[in-house]
Amino acid sequence: MASNKEVHAKTFGKAFVNFFKGIANYFTDFGKAISKGDLAVKLSTVLMGAGYFARKKFVVGFLTMLLEAAFIFMCIFYAAPNLAKFGTLGDTVRSTQFDPLTMQNTVIEGDNSFLILLNSVIALFAIFVFILLWIHNIKRAYELQQDSEKGVHIATFAEDFKSLVNGRFNITLLALPTLGVILMNVIPILILIAIAFTNYDQMHMPPSALFTWVGLANFKNILSLSSGSSAFGYAFFKVLGWTLVWAFFSTFTCFLGGIVLAKLITYRKVKFPKIWRTLFVVTIAVPQFVTLLLVRYFFGDTGIVNSFCTGIGLTEFLKSIGLVANHLSYIPFLTNPGWAKFMIIMINIWVGVPYQMLIATGVLLNIPESQIESAKLDGANAWQIFWHITMPYVLFVEGPTLITDFVRNINNFNVIYLLTQDTFVTTNQTLANANAKEVDLLVTWLFRLTNDYYNYKMASVIGIIVFVICAVFSLIAFSKFLSGGREESYQ
Amino acid sequence: MENAISKHDNYEQKELKLRSKKKSETATTIIINALIAIFALIWIIPIVWLLVTAFSKYRGIDTAHFFPAQGWTLDNFKIVLFEPDSVVQYIAWFKNTFIIALFSCIISTAFVLMVSYTFSCMRFKGRHAMMKFSIILNMFPGVLSMIAVYFVMKQLGLTNSHVGMVIVYSAGSGLGYLICKGFMDTIPTSIREAARLDGASEVEIFFKIILPLSKPIIVYTVISSFLAPWADFVFAKLMLNSGISTDWTVAIGLYNMLGKDLKSHYFSIFCAGGLLISIPISVLFILMQKYYVAGVTGGASKG
Repeated sequence: MASNKEVHAKTFGKAFVNFFKGIANYFTDFGKAISKGDLAVKLSTVLMGAGYFARKKFVVGFLTMLLEAAFIFMCIFYAAPNLAKFGTLGDTVRSTQFDPLTMQNTVIEGDNSFLILLNSVIALFAIFVFILLWIHNIKRAYELQQDSEKGVHIATFAEDFKSLVNGRFNITLLALPTLGVILMNVIPILILIAIAFTNYDQMHMPPSALFTWVGLANFKNILSLSSGSSAFGYAFFKVLGWTLVWAFFSTFTCFLGGIVLAKLITYRKVKFPKIWRTLFVVTIAVPQFVTLLLVRYFFGDTGIVNSFCTGIGLTEFLKSIGLVANHLSYIPFLTNPGWAKFMIIMINIWVGVPYQMLIATGVLLNIPESQIESAKLDGANAWQIFWHITMPYVLFVEGPTLITDFVRNINNFNVIYLLTQDTFVTTNQTLANANAKEVDLLVTWLFRLTNDYYNYKMASVIGIIVFVICAVFSLIAFSKFLSGGREESYQ
Repeated sequence: MENAISKHDNYEQKELKLRSKKKSETATTIIINALIAIFALIWIIPIVWLLVTAFSKYRGIDTAHFFPAQGWTLDNFKIVLFEPDSVVQYIAWFKNTFIIALFSCIISTAFVLMVSYTFSCMRFKGRHAMMKFSIILNMFPGVLSMIAVYFVMKQLGLTNSHVGMVIVYSAGSGLGYLICKGFMDTIPTSIREAARLDGASEVEIFFKIILPLSKPIIVYTVISSFLAPWADFVFAKLMLNSGISTDWTVAIGLYNMLGKDLKSHYFSIFCAGGLLISIPISVLFILMQKYYVAGVTGGASKG
């Protein structure tokens, strides 16, 4: 993965400097093209494609002009009307007026804040892309000028077209995936960021009501610690705390469990290791929405495990040592905050360990044997070998995956939602005011805020904060685990 | 994998000669075998419960008996497969899920391979910048931007549509190129250069040289990009909200069966449905285990 090493190997400070150097070069080239270009190049700044016409590339020139025309058309009929209202996000509310002719109320459509926001974001993005194309067009015109001055052959349209499957195959290959990423990742993220600065919630729902910009008010609301003023601030720090605790424990229990299980199964005296492994793998193959929903009722308040525990007297015992409240006749596996958190981590071990076991089995088989051999000759016992040779190796190989898993667990929607939705009811009134629960992760909270309570502004703020947290962890991980010189340790 | 296991065995036999502690050996063996048996039991109990409840005559959640007390029956499967009603539309769900997963899988795999090839085998201006940018973008978990995704799809009129679902699952898949690119990086450059000297164009190198050599990673990509939409719950729940049960996927349909009023009549049917959707994945998973592990660990070990 040579090129990836290049991507990560640099420290981030260096990468940062290079980034700005790149941008500086980009504009220097552009300035050079304009100042040193001939008339055709200069004309390209206004009439895109002029540079192509000057070098007899008529088809490309015509297409470029068509692009410019389309852009101007888009600006007049799409971008301008939307961007004009972008500052206020609309001012006319939908109203009804009595029509004396039909004797009925007719609806007069007002502004739709959300559509204005959405279309403006798309328009701004389109303008940004157009500016890049415009710069490219001028640079390209200057290149063509230089080529023709040097007497280099200028490719015809047919040759240009052919190069899309050869020299410029990358453009062909990347076109569709890039379009998909823009549609599904870039535009939604931009909209999400924009919504975080508005008051878009249930009280301000288009098309019947307007919403508008509120600056940093939502961020202040969620980051204020005094629980009196804001239920959101209180809920946020509680949910954040549990999210991090959960991500830590779920990642490490599954990681260690996977290694231990893999070690046990590969132990030489174990009969039929393949059958055992398959048994565990079957549990991965059943989709989570089946197993987790099933387990939820398995451990329900009136579920079969509770019947069993009452039967053998475990419920009474737990009552006597104070782990179960006295007024209950069952163990509140998934209904009491403390128990639920414990059980969620336990059930997640059940879900995650077989998968980690599969990975660990593969990794353990590749441990350099020479190291273990020499440790044995030096008289190390099995335990020492495990801690000083096996674990460092596994950590080396799985380190990056471990961080990815940690980030994935911060956003582990399925386990929490499927185990606690509908069954877990919070008794903490402040949390309930913010529509949160003790067992919520930031993502499940976000999902509930949008899906059940239409509180888009707070959900967007949470989304941005989660992104920042995930990005920080990922960046630390990438710079720590993939910094230069580390790759050779085991080669 | 088999080969590697036997290698492992070999060296452990050597170790046996080095020190002969036969007695403690036997004790350890017994303990380890017992541990595995206990773990296997814990892991398999819920699956067995799923299995036996699917054959139970009692429709609700039996809280007193693990095995069905009222006798065994095949009725649950009959209802799931042949007798659709207002709640159970299993065949329609299965078909929806399959079609969505199939098309998402095709598009995702194509995107991943295209992006991986470009970044791994081609050199062009802006390659590094694009790679860095996509790594950062990929850190943003899809679940978080789902409200915005939902709105975009709504403006395009693609909510409650299977085309919309396919777009949601596959459009951004190009960002997940890292593992596949890692694999392609291990293919010697000399092969490509030789082909270029022979006059092969990039498109020929892509289809005739790199793709055939990337078979293991293609299998991995296909499996993982098929399973993701197949087992997805959250996006389906968000996007398919019309309440028309024939439009749903299996995940949403089964989840709905466990609603407050329904679960006492549909729990065993839920189990039958859950069992049926698990069978194809189990078979696929057991057959493709080798490739799957190679994909996951391959990506990890090469960082």
